[in-house]
Amino acid sequence: MNKRYDSQAPVRKSRLLPGSLQGQYLIIVLAAFLFIPVIIPLASLTYTIVQWSSKSDMESGAKYGGTSGLLSDWHAHAANMEGKSDAAIDEALIELKRRYPEASMFWVDANGATRSQLPPQLDIPAQWTPEEAIRFMKASIGKDPYTVIAFLGKENAGSSFMTIRMPREAISTGNPNGSGTPYYIAFVFVMFSVFVAMSLLFFRHIRRRLLRLQSAMARQDEHGIPEPVAIKRWHEIGALEYSFNGMVAQLRDSRQRQSEEEQLRKSLVANLSHDLRTPLTIMQGHLYQLREEPLSPKGQQSVSVMQGKAEGLGELIDNLLAYTLMTSGRYKLTLETVDIVRLARESAASWYPLWEREGLEVDVRLPHEQLIWQGDRAGLQRMLDNLFQNVVRHARDGGYIGLALEKRHGRPCLVVSDKGRGLNSESSATGAGVGLAIVDYLADSMGLVRETASSEEGTRVYLYEKTNDGRGYF
Amino acid sequence: MTTNSIKLLYIEDDTEIGELVTEQLRAKSYEVKWLKSGEEALREAEGCSLVVLDVMLPGLDGFTIGQRLKKANPDLPILMLSARTSIDDKLQGLEFADDYVTKPFHPDELSARIEVLLRRGGRRSSEPTKVKHLLVYEAENRIVHADTGEELALGGKQFHIFMFLFRHLGQILTKEQIYEAVWGESYLDGDKTLMVHIRHLREKIEKDPASPEVVETIRGLGYRVRA
Repeated sequence: MNKRYDSQAPVRKSRLLPGSLQGQYLIIVLAAFLFIPVIIPLASLTYTIVQWSSKSDMESGAKYGGTSGLLSDWHAHAANMEGKSDAAIDEALIELKRRYPEASMFWVDANGATRSQLPPQLDIPAQWTPEEAIRFMKASIGKDPYTVIAFLGKENAGSSFMTIRMPREAISTGNPNGSGTPYYIAFVFVMFSVFVAMSLLFFRHIRRRLLRLQSAMARQDEHGIPEPVAIKRWHEIGALEYSFNGMVAQLRDSRQRQSEEEQLRKSLVANLSHDLRTPLTIMQGHLYQLREEPLSPKGQQSVSVMQGKAEGLGELIDNLLAYTLMTSGRYKLTLETVDIVRLARESAASWYPLWEREGLEVDVRLPHEQLIWQGDRAGLQRMLDNLFQNVVRHARDGGYIGLALEKRHGRPCLVVSDKGRGLNSESSATGAGVGLAIVDYLADSMGLVRETASSEEGTRVYLYEKTNDGRGYF
Repeated sequence: MTTNSIKLLYIEDDTEIGELVTEQLRAKSYEVKWLKSGEEALREAEGCSLVVLDVMLPGLDGFTIGQRLKKANPDLPILMLSARTSIDDKLQGLEFADDYVTKPFHPDELSARIEVLLRRGGRRSSEPTKVKHLLVYEAENRIVHADTGEELALGGKQFHIFMFLFRHLGQILTKEQIYEAVWGESYLDGDKTLMVHIRHLREKIEKDPASPEVVETIRGLGYRVRA
């Protein structure tokens, strides 16, 4: 027996876990929603950080330590001039000029006279007044060149001062503004790509699982039932696979039950058949012996009636059980080309002695040409037997049986006719039904049509092939 | 009618049917050996001319026994007797069985089938069979006029046709069946040939060929020879 699957799949409780498709989908939707409000500020933040870090990088990495470096250095140099003679200061300044070749410098002594202009500068007055000093300082603030003024001596407390004017170009590297923009774009682009890749992966995953399930459904074993699939992950498609497996298991169960029932039915039919026929055989045997005994004419008649009934009962049992087996699909038809004229003639030949004994006039009008039908030989034989049997059993009073090949609806048609009181009369309504049901079942299985025309003058049963569109003429 | 001392083996588990059939077959002067099960069938079948075998038996079923019998002696005719439904068993049973009778059966039908099987199986008796005014010595391939004692000289095909009809005594045989059995060819344009041969046959064996008695014409169906 197959393992039973309960309908409550364990996936139910994990609906919102990251493992579930719904959870994964929610994450993706959330990411789509948060793209602008989160990614853009994040990118801006990145931009700012990049900007800031590049700025500080520039400060420390710039020549002479940038403006602040130059400022403190210049003050230090000025402090070193403590107690030096004017000539020594001139020399020190030349030394400093060598160190800062881009810069122009000069110094002003305690008397306000400009000395050691390196190189000579036109805008510098030769003699400094306090007004001129203030004007110079005002003019220098925040301008290019960058100007540092430092008083000489310890603590820069002397009365003379030295000035360095450094072009800002020399102490900065390029334009720092907008240096973070490529990072900004790259960040947004990368985030977008990650989002797209995640969505694609998500749908590809679902698609693959669904395709796997689809191919599993298409693959069938010898009974036309799909194989169960291996469940990989417990999300919604896993649950679907689980239900699918459950369905497959149910199908197999019912298939098994069906074949068991069929087996049971078959043996039941066989046993029933045996149990019904055995007493009938005994009855018939004894009736036969009874007929050999000396009996009055009335007794003889009773015996022959009983014999007829016993025979009819036997035929009925056979038809009933045959019909049961046929409709349950136990009787397999093998279609082949059959010469129906020949089959009908040979069948009639084997029935002839019985017809003769029953005193029927036999009228056979079959041509000596073949007529090929696609049919099961035994099945066709059985159909004819049942039709002939019906005539013998139910239309004997007509004293006639006809077998002919005629045209009906423009196609060749086998006709079994009698001159009995017709199928609607009382006698035929009982036993003929099962026999005709078998004829109809077999005819239908072989693409044939049975038609019956019944009147007071007799009954004509027509057998012919269906048209190509699978329907008979009606 | 069939002569006496032909031994039949009959295997049937049902006592009532067994008694009836045995009695009826004995009345037809057959020697009947009746077994209630098939275990001894192979040994008991020795010396028998035919086996009548029931399908539903305790122990080994009729199909198994029949197949074993057929394997041991392929020439031994087997007639299956079954109370199961015919369409189911017929397919399985007839693979080895020579004939098949479904219960309930008419006692006359059973003995008629047995006779046909015995004759077909070449179980020829030395006693002549009387057919109308003819005596047929099957074993010696002779046909004698009963009244005059004169032996009839038949041509090869004529003799074959007659013997084919004779071996199927009482049965109607179609022209196709006769032609194919005698000429060994498929019946397509054999109609005229067969008619000519039948006419010549009748001229030799019938008292009045214009209204034949031995080889009957069954209109629309074929020919028949009856005892």
